[in-house]
Amino acid sequence: MSDVPAIIHWMQNSDIGTGIRESIWLFPIVETTHVLALALSVGILIWFDLRLMGWGMKHQPVSHVHKQIMPIAFVGFVIMFISGVLLFWSEAEKCYLSGFFRAKVLFLVLAGVNAGIFELATKKTIEDWDKYPIPPVKARMAGLISIISWAAVIIAGRATAYNLF
Amino acid sequence: MHYFLPFFRWCDSTWLGETIRSSRIYFPIIETFHLLALTILFGAVIVLNLRLCRIIMKGQPVQQVAQDLSPWALWSLVVILTSGIMLFLSEAMKCYASKPFQVKMVFLFSALIFHFTIHRKVTRTDREPGRLSGILVGTVNALLWLGVGLGGRGIGFL
Repeated sequence: MSDVPAIIHWMQNSDIGTGIRESIWLFPIVETTHVLALALSVGILIWFDLRLMGWGMKHQPVSHVHKQIMPIAFVGFVIMFISGVLLFWSEAEKCYLSGFFRAKVLFLVLAGVNAGIFELATKKTIEDWDKYPIPPVKARMAGLISIISWAAVIIAGRATAYNLF
Repeated sequence: MHYFLPFFRWCDSTWLGETIRSSRIYFPIIETFHLLALTILFGAVIVLNLRLCRIIMKGQPVQQVAQDLSPWALWSLVVILTSGIMLFLSEAMKCYASKPFQVKMVFLFSALIFHFTIHRKVTRTDREPGRLSGILVGTVNALLWLGVGLGGRGIGFL
């Protein structure tokens, strides 16, 4: 594994990286935290996405669902991100070389950009959407892109762990 | 436990179990479906139980939140159980020897029984549950499902 950037090599062989990788308990604990945080982040976000698309939670106003559940999802994302960075740290070389991991990062960026556009621009008129049963097209698109990209992140993440193909 | 041994042996030798074992990629693919559906179910469980504990969505009746969540939650449960049984068949003998698997099954049956009896009763009436009973039912339900998740992850590691 010589064809990796110096920083990746350094992470893999640092005390933190080696410590997590070689510990009997640490790696499983961090990994389990990562997967449980998935339910708290994506598992909750998905309900907002379904609401955006008009497919779920139809009785609740969109702005209400956003205000109530997104702070919880945000906590989940922070936990997932921290545990994810630690997992990457412990297997930096394997991840860097894995095509699935690269795909995962790509879909993470897509999900992030999509969420950024929604929070900064699309959301401005969210109060108006409450009057209609189904939000406007741009909001529905944001929900759809979010679900697809997060599903892709999960699939690629699982494939990274199994080192498939 | 040894009363179950013939059953686990039979599961391990089924056509489905052997087919899944025969390929490197079947297991990860089925497991991915298991995980995707689990994300939806756990998300629903968290939202509904936070509502029961009166932490979020206080303005909406519990019954309505439960009704909004239930079709998706039910379908994800069907996918989870189906994929879970397939995963189990492919490594039944490993599961037989696995402590985390036993823990997971105890939590799973407890969670299902609790979910379809007490939890359902509380979430399917138009009467708002009392503060304390709401918190109690919500917390117990969330912890039971957490146990299922922890046990499941343990099977892969221990």
